[in-house]
Amino acid sequence: MALKDVIANERRDAFMLCNEAIARGAFESNVKVVAFYPGAPTSEVLDTFSDALGALDYQMKIAPNSYIPMLEPSSPQEAKEMVKRAFEISERHGVPVIMRTVTRVNHQSGIVKLEDINMKEFKRVKWKDLKEEFTTLGEVARQKKLRMLERAGRLAEEFEGSEFNIVKDATSDVGVITSSVSYLYVLEALKILNLESKVKVLKLGTTYPMPRDLVGNFLKGLRKAIVVEELSPYLEREVCAIAKDANPSVAIFGKYSKTFSEAWEYNPSIVVKGIASALGLKYPDYDAVVEEARRLKGMIPERNPTFCAGCPHRATFVALNQALKAQAVKGKDHFFTNDIGCYSMWIFPPISHSDSSLCMGASVGVANGLSHAIEERPVAVVGDSTFYHATIPAIIDAVHNGNKFTLIILDNSVTAMTGQQSNPSTEFTAGWRQGKKVSIEGICRGIGVGFVEIVDSYDIKNNVEVFRRALEFDGLSVVISRRECALYGDRNKRRRGEPIIPFYVDKNICKRPYMCLRTFYCPAYEIDGDRQPRISPDICDGCSVCSKLCPFSAIKRPGAR
Amino acid sequence: MSFNIFICGVGGQGLVLLTSVMGNACVKSGKRAITGEMYGLSQRSGTVFVHMRIGKDAFSPLIPYGGADIIVALEAIEALRYVEYLKKGGIVLMNSRIMRPPVETSKIILEKGSKYITLEEIVSRLRGWTPNIAVVDAQGLARKAGNVNTENTVFLGCLSALESFPVEESHIRESISETVPKKTIEQNLKAFELGKKGSYDSLCKLVACRKG
Repeated sequence: MALKDVIANERRDAFMLCNEAIARGAFESNVKVVAFYPGAPTSEVLDTFSDALGALDYQMKIAPNSYIPMLEPSSPQEAKEMVKRAFEISERHGVPVIMRTVTRVNHQSGIVKLEDINMKEFKRVKWKDLKEEFTTLGEVARQKKLRMLERAGRLAEEFEGSEFNIVKDATSDVGVITSSVSYLYVLEALKILNLESKVKVLKLGTTYPMPRDLVGNFLKGLRKAIVVEELSPYLEREVCAIAKDANPSVAIFGKYSKTFSEAWEYNPSIVVKGIASALGLKYPDYDAVVEEARRLKGMIPERNPTFCAGCPHRATFVALNQALKAQAVKGKDHFFTNDIGCYSMWIFPPISHSDSSLCMGASVGVANGLSHAIEERPVAVVGDSTFYHATIPAIIDAVHNGNKFTLIILDNSVTAMTGQQSNPSTEFTAGWRQGKKVSIEGICRGIGVGFVEIVDSYDIKNNVEVFRRALEFDGLSVVISRRECALYGDRNKRRRGEPIIPFYVDKNICKRPYMCLRTFYCPAYEIDGDRQPRISPDICDGCSVCSKLCPFSAIKRPGAR
Repeated sequence: MSFNIFICGVGGQGLVLLTSVMGNACVKSGKRAITGEMYGLSQRSGTVFVHMRIGKDAFSPLIPYGGADIIVALEAIEALRYVEYLKKGGIVLMNSRIMRPPVETSKIILEKGSKYITLEEIVSRLRGWTPNIAVVDAQGLARKAGNVNTENTVFLGCLSALESFPVEESHIRESISETVPKKTIEQNLKAFELGKKGSYDSLCKLVACRKG
């Protein structure tokens, strides 16, 4: 990560990820408070902020969603400029500003011009000096609505002349209207189709409030307008509405005309195809390229993401699956409801076990409902981070209503999936300042859960028995499977100077029952030429769990007797 | 004209660092660079890729199908997985190393007669797309450099040998020194050198290279 570029107080060019450019823009704007959902796909922004500043205040906010101006960048450089403009607009109009970034903007790197950082010290203010109004009831809300409408009108006028709206003129009766990363695909497509400076292009950077005059003037005299935007046809709807007055005879090509699909992320090939088909032009046969490649590749093994070597979740699930199997033999089936985190990967082959995996915190809610509706016992799984932010009300409901199911809380000390951010299970807060761990078992017991047990994720033999009792329990049973994330643990080990000692398979002892492979699916394993399991020393984390699965004790740590 | 590099491999092999080194070197060379990176479940052990484009007329962060001048595959199977991005007759620069996904291994123990895909099979299938395939023992060279994690830098060395690679070698070296962890600078520079030297026996017999 280009952290040094994010905080460097100098003017020069730097190669950075769009998310980093967003953070840089905020620093150049003298940002004081940042708030994020930790672990969103754009979590690098939070990481960048917390790594850079450590001491910023951290709080969560939910952006309101109406009458708020929206800016959409297409590149890292533009993202940085827009963040600065967004702060300026926000101050001047007293309104939050939404920066809408699609995935291919966030995960795009490019060269960014750094400007001065003028960070000033953060000082608390007196609330009563702010004289702002933060209530919304009754007449107050009605008056506020008026002011919001006035503000939106002022912003619309201002955006007519925004530097982020670009018109590329041409002598043509064809125009392309686009925004965000789609603008870059349009430029690429026009190059490929030899249409550069042969069609007009309007790139909108301010997409709410819409600069209606700008769009209307662009549409005047056009025979065809092609709208290129990802996801829902938002621009297209606006363009259609504006065209009704500005140029009712213009033919509009977009998602309504089926020129583009609402599904999938765009790429240059999709945009080339769309523009060419709207204009009746020939285009490179990308489908044929992809089809030829497909035939050439034949069967190649999938490479789904999977648990890292040493991941405590893998061990937890091996024990849980054994316990579930034993219950099934007794005729007691289960419904397995997964949640969102590293443990979601349990749905991928070769493991492929999960009856549902919907959204954060859904596992406990789904288990609550299904405990009244199905014959099988619901078994819910959730990680520490999601437990804190999205399941506690549902656990209260479960206890209050006497719902019967088993909840496994996978406590690996950090928000692992998105890169080891801290959460209330970590002894640090954002920016790695000392924080206080909040006890998961304390919360569960406080709510009144009748069965709360804590196990070490690696201790498979013991855990099968604990899970069995939890599954038999006549009520809500909670098992907290605790062991720090392997990557986080490795980082701590390296810091302490502890070595990571890989295991190996003793070929003289191994009789190839493949117990190490049948249920464990560790990426450190492969089969050698003799069909003998082999552990890759570069990948093995030395967790020892597979060695406990081997009935012949053939999996050893070097030097161990 | 832009130079388009499709980089792929397995999560954890250091693709992002490789991209940063090249990007910073582009800044030094005054070259425009833009990338599109994989997102989401691109953790350890999953497939990962980066579209890297250098040059004034590279607008889109993604390379169109059939538009990459070169595929740089840090793992052999991954070279095949993304072949649709390569120009016909483009260059494949690939690791000889294969990292077996657990799915493939579990199939072998569950299905009799099922076998691992081999390096030879991968290369022979790739030949249906291009004759220009260079296989590098990047892990071996990285070990030689004193740090097995410098496989990614070995590939930078290979790239630097290419005549068509638009970034100056001195800028790549500077960028390595500024971007990799301090303790590993020497090892990375060695890996770079070994990668570049190694190219003259393989890559450079297929395509034009700078004078060594």
